[in-house]
Amino acid sequence: MNLDGPWPSNVVPTDDRQAVTDFLHKEARLADEARYAEWLALWTDDAVYWVPATTDPAADPEKHLSHIYDNRGRLETRVKMLQSGFRYSQEPASPMRRLISSIEIAAGAGGEFVAESNFLLAELSIQAKHEMHWWVGRTTHRLRRVAGELRMCTKKVVLVNAAEPLPNLTFLI
Amino acid sequence: MTAIVRYDELVRDDRIHASLYTDPQIFADEMERIFHRGWVFVGHASEIPRPGDFVTRPLGTQPAILVRGADGAVSVLLNRCRHRGTMVCAAERGTTKTFACPYHGWTYDLSGALLGVPYPGGYDASFDKSTRGLAHAPRVATYRGFVFASLSADGITLEEHLGKATKLIDRSCDLSPEGEIELTAGWVKHRCAANWKMLPENDSDGYHLGFVHRALFKTVRSQYQTVVGDERTIKAVVRDWGGGHIEIDWSPGYQGAFEWFGGAPKSLVADYVVRMEQRYGTARAQQLLFEGPAHALIFPNLFLGETNIAIVQPVSVDECVHWHTPIFWKGVPEFNSRLLRQSEAGMGPASFLMPEDLAIAARNHAGLQARHVEWLELSRGLNRETMDAEGRLVSHVTDETINRALWKHYRAVMAGA
Repeated sequence: MNLDGPWPSNVVPTDDRQAVTDFLHKEARLADEARYAEWLALWTDDAVYWVPATTDPAADPEKHLSHIYDNRGRLETRVKMLQSGFRYSQEPASPMRRLISSIEIAAGAGGEFVAESNFLLAELSIQAKHEMHWWVGRTTHRLRRVAGELRMCTKKVVLVNAAEPLPNLTFLI
Repeated sequence: MTAIVRYDELVRDDRIHASLYTDPQIFADEMERIFHRGWVFVGHASEIPRPGDFVTRPLGTQPAILVRGADGAVSVLLNRCRHRGTMVCAAERGTTKTFACPYHGWTYDLSGALLGVPYPGGYDASFDKSTRGLAHAPRVATYRGFVFASLSADGITLEEHLGKATKLIDRSCDLSPEGEIELTAGWVKHRCAANWKMLPENDSDGYHLGFVHRALFKTVRSQYQTVVGDERTIKAVVRDWGGGHIEIDWSPGYQGAFEWFGGAPKSLVADYVVRMEQRYGTARAQQLLFEGPAHALIFPNLFLGETNIAIVQPVSVDECVHWHTPIFWKGVPEFNSRLLRQSEAGMGPASFLMPEDLAIAARNHAGLQARHVEWLELSRGLNRETMDAEGRLVSHVTDETINRALWKHYRAVMAGA
């Protein structure tokens, strides 16, 4: 599961590459449009949604505080709160759009795929001050097929400014 | 020339003036009188365990370095070269033998003493290196590893500043069977578009929970459930410890030990309970495990946030930052994973509690620009607060007793200058 791994062990067939790329685009669109239930349905039961609080690649969620380190249960809580109508930090939901680029895909263990990509996300925070917040970072997705459909089991988002003071981050990054 | 602000007029016993949150002149006065002259929390000794370890921290709005010297002593140095004013240290944390300015190479030791300047031929014999060390906070003092500093050479001692509130710090530290906490998980910093005072006020506000945090209460059960019910059945209280130090005590509403921890499976805590009883005796240990860590503000910028430690950082009259890190209790590493996850659930920009607080604080700050209305209410609970045997005002958890305590101390500090 290493993008820099030796050729050809991590080469992904074209059809799979296209499916993974399509998945990343769809996942981004559902998050941007606050389509919470559809977004949650993209996850496997062993979900890990991780946003470290540092750019240090040695960050260890069992030793260091993260912004987000959700398992499936906590991910469902996160989504239910957004759906409650009382998550004031996202009430009303921030209009947002993100660009995904520099996608690299490798074959992982057990038929999984690992995709890394960069993103640039414009979030219009409209809960008090109507400010544009720019979020930039690198995402690692780990995907596998469940009943024929691609699902994500890990999404790790390393923000360029992970260790800086951040405004509310309660939308789906 | 700046106007003299009449703090005794702006802070009344039952109301406060909106300009206290919005006037840049008042912010400047606060930095001078509260953050630079008074005692402020800088960091914890466990963050810099070995000689040469340092972290950079704001002291009010001034850049500072908390560093452990070669002799093990802790100093707070101003992060400013004595030559041309350049920050000598850009890293957030690290280990070093010296601080060398990148501009012209002036180099200082861990105590801030100037070791040397390049090309010394440009200075004559009257150039006295001993007067050109990094400026340091003239007073630094520690209580149970919590390092406080004052930029004033004189004033009340830390002991006088903390007063009875050392008991609140004790309550959090004593949950370690070795009596020590360790802040090694790193800090998350949460930016808030509001005046800094809204953070200590909100951290200590027991009235807002059922409203601001309604999304969470509707979604999952938590230990705070008992404080959002019928007003008459709520048992939690607020206490004024004096000196601007204020507390919410949830424990009168608890039914048993470890409620503050969200419950505790025997497999996780059996050994811990034995070690707590060995250290403190059964009665004291049971009390500690029932009451849990403190929920209290140590004036002006240290928040004992139950299983977290938080720092309030003022940035400008319109902006502040809330820092937090989980408490790791020394000798109980088996709790750390859970403490990390609880910390991520409660505090920080992506958590389930603080984003609502900071969203409301920003709306509060925006609303206060409506200056046609000048005053904010601060009278809740005046009809029922009482003095306890230890001389602390106590009231229902939803009462503004502790807001009044905070503002009363604020007025004394600001008007007394």
